[in-house]
Amino acid sequence: MTYLLFAVPLLFVLISLFLNKNLWLDILVLLHALLQLGLGVGAHFRQGLIGGMDRLGLFIYLITSLLYTAVALYRLGGEPAAPTKSYRIHSICLMLFVAAMDGACLAKDLGLIWIFVETTTLASAMLISFEHRKASLEAAWKYLFICSVGIALAFVGILLLVIAQPEHANLNLANLIREVGSISPFWLRMAFVFIMVGFGTKIGLAPLHFWLPDAHSEAPAPISALLSGALLNTALIPILRFDGLMRAAGLGASVRQIYMLMGILSIFVAAVFMLKTKNYKRLLAYSSIENMGLVMLAFGAGGIAVYAGFLHILGHSLVKAAFFLSAGNVVALYHDKHYHKVSGLLETHKASGWLWLISYAMIIGMPPSPLFISEFLIATALIQSGNWLILTLLLILLAVIAWGLGKASLMITMGKSGQKQKLQPLMVIAPASLLLLAAVIGIWQPALPF
Amino acid sequence: MLEIMVLLFGMSLLFASVTNMLNHLLRILMFQGIILFTITLLKTTQLNWLSFSLIDLETLIFKAFVIPWFIRDTIWKNQVHRETEPSVSNFFSLATMSLIFVCSFALAVLSQGWSDKLMPLEFGVAFAAILKGIFIIIANKKLITHLVGYLILENGIFLLSLSAGSHLPYIVSLGVSLDIMISILIAVLFINRIKSTFDDADSPTGLKE
Repeated sequence: MTYLLFAVPLLFVLISLFLNKNLWLDILVLLHALLQLGLGVGAHFRQGLIGGMDRLGLFIYLITSLLYTAVALYRLGGEPAAPTKSYRIHSICLMLFVAAMDGACLAKDLGLIWIFVETTTLASAMLISFEHRKASLEAAWKYLFICSVGIALAFVGILLLVIAQPEHANLNLANLIREVGSISPFWLRMAFVFIMVGFGTKIGLAPLHFWLPDAHSEAPAPISALLSGALLNTALIPILRFDGLMRAAGLGASVRQIYMLMGILSIFVAAVFMLKTKNYKRLLAYSSIENMGLVMLAFGAGGIAVYAGFLHILGHSLVKAAFFLSAGNVVALYHDKHYHKVSGLLETHKASGWLWLISYAMIIGMPPSPLFISEFLIATALIQSGNWLILTLLLILLAVIAWGLGKASLMITMGKSGQKQKLQPLMVIAPASLLLLAAVIGIWQPALPF
Repeated sequence: MLEIMVLLFGMSLLFASVTNMLNHLLRILMFQGIILFTITLLKTTQLNWLSFSLIDLETLIFKAFVIPWFIRDTIWKNQVHRETEPSVSNFFSLATMSLIFVCSFALAVLSQGWSDKLMPLEFGVAFAAILKGIFIIIANKKLITHLVGYLILENGIFLLSLSAGSHLPYIVSLGVSLDIMISILIAVLFINRIKSTFDDADSPTGLKE
């Protein structure tokens, strides 16, 4: 069944060339998403359905599939005013983007993962610039360029890994872990630094995050949802896989310190910028930087926080995608992205107003959000490991972030707007389903297979 | 012969530090493309001939001709000013390049004991090219110059992959080359779009923070 992951999008790309209505293109994307989700659910219950995909790959793949399905439903509900020709290119790039993310989930060879991650950059750059505005073109350029440089540095890391091996180069991580004794620790450390910097750029970790607020805020809402909820996780895959090699080489302690440093720095940068940003989509982008920082902090803290890290990845993806789709509703209703020019969302469109408020409550980690559990466990792990300074700093920064995002949320949803507007039901159903799923996961607290 | 080629590649980096003209930078790119092609040819005897013939041709055609021509065409179409307008002086640029060389060779010599695969001269020059590419990106504001910096960085990575003994799997080498080529083509496409949308392809403007 593995070949379906790539054969279907390629077939759909060919079919899309003959479709001359935006609605048909939306249906095609939805079909791709449903097939993708079906395969993922099937692989969850029947091991080996997607040959070679391990638990980590399947975990990220399932998250991507869920978000992609929600996004495809949302697109079906929206009414794109774009000409069919450019909408076709957009749909093609979307399918290729998702297929590239699937490839990164499936691959175990570091070189192949690199190729797929770089391919996601190429496909998604076209998605970001879809609206052809000055800001979106600049954001796409910045994204393409900074990520390409970052990914190039990751490739230097891969080359250093080749140098680290005495015999023939092997980039398959399972084989590398088996032969870890023969790998030079000096070059392995060097390789890790470059891989961390390279893929860290793509994850949006500070201080390499510059592209993220622009790209996430200027892309159309469904694309922002995928960029934030799916792409950042995909870029995390090579680091998590390489982490296994570093631990096998006995270098786990130094790796964890780097995670902690980059994690807390990312949260700090997000907190500082969230206080001064007036663009609400940009605020959500900084929130993504904060949450990826929390994920790195979790993996850095180790112990029980590793489970928290994976739960946080899952919870953040669902809630943030719902938040971005809700932001898409606000853009559709007010045609403005600055929150001081938007007010009375609860009056203008009650469902979108509630979606916004619930998304806000869940993203800052209020129960029943899974982020409540994950953040609680991260704090517990920090206490257990005696990292009191980081814990104190973390709590202060999280409070600042909650205040910054909360101020914007109250301004957007409260107040008077003096008019009521309508949106297509799917534009509410898609984000609401993601939030509901997140709440179920928060209450259920599943035992993740890690 | 191999050492002379690598030294010539290193000298091209020094020349890139003292020129302010985009045309000169493009010539340096072409020169580096030809040198990389020659180095690949010289190494082909040690490597799998069949798999590397594609990489050889790709190096010559794309690195030495197609991409520099594409960028020159973009400069001409968008009427980009011919000077790079760097934020730092030539002296500072040259001094930084010299420092980059010192650090790169120090790393190459110091780490020689850790790997018998490593060729210090190639490793030092390749690493210097990677750092020089990053320096050009940081020290310039123009989009086109950023692209040239990125290409120098890519040339450095290519040289590093040759220095590493080129034991990378064939599919990876090909995929990497393809991805890089497409990324450059898309980047050029964006420069053209930025120009046609808001009539300025020289430098980015609006998005800050």
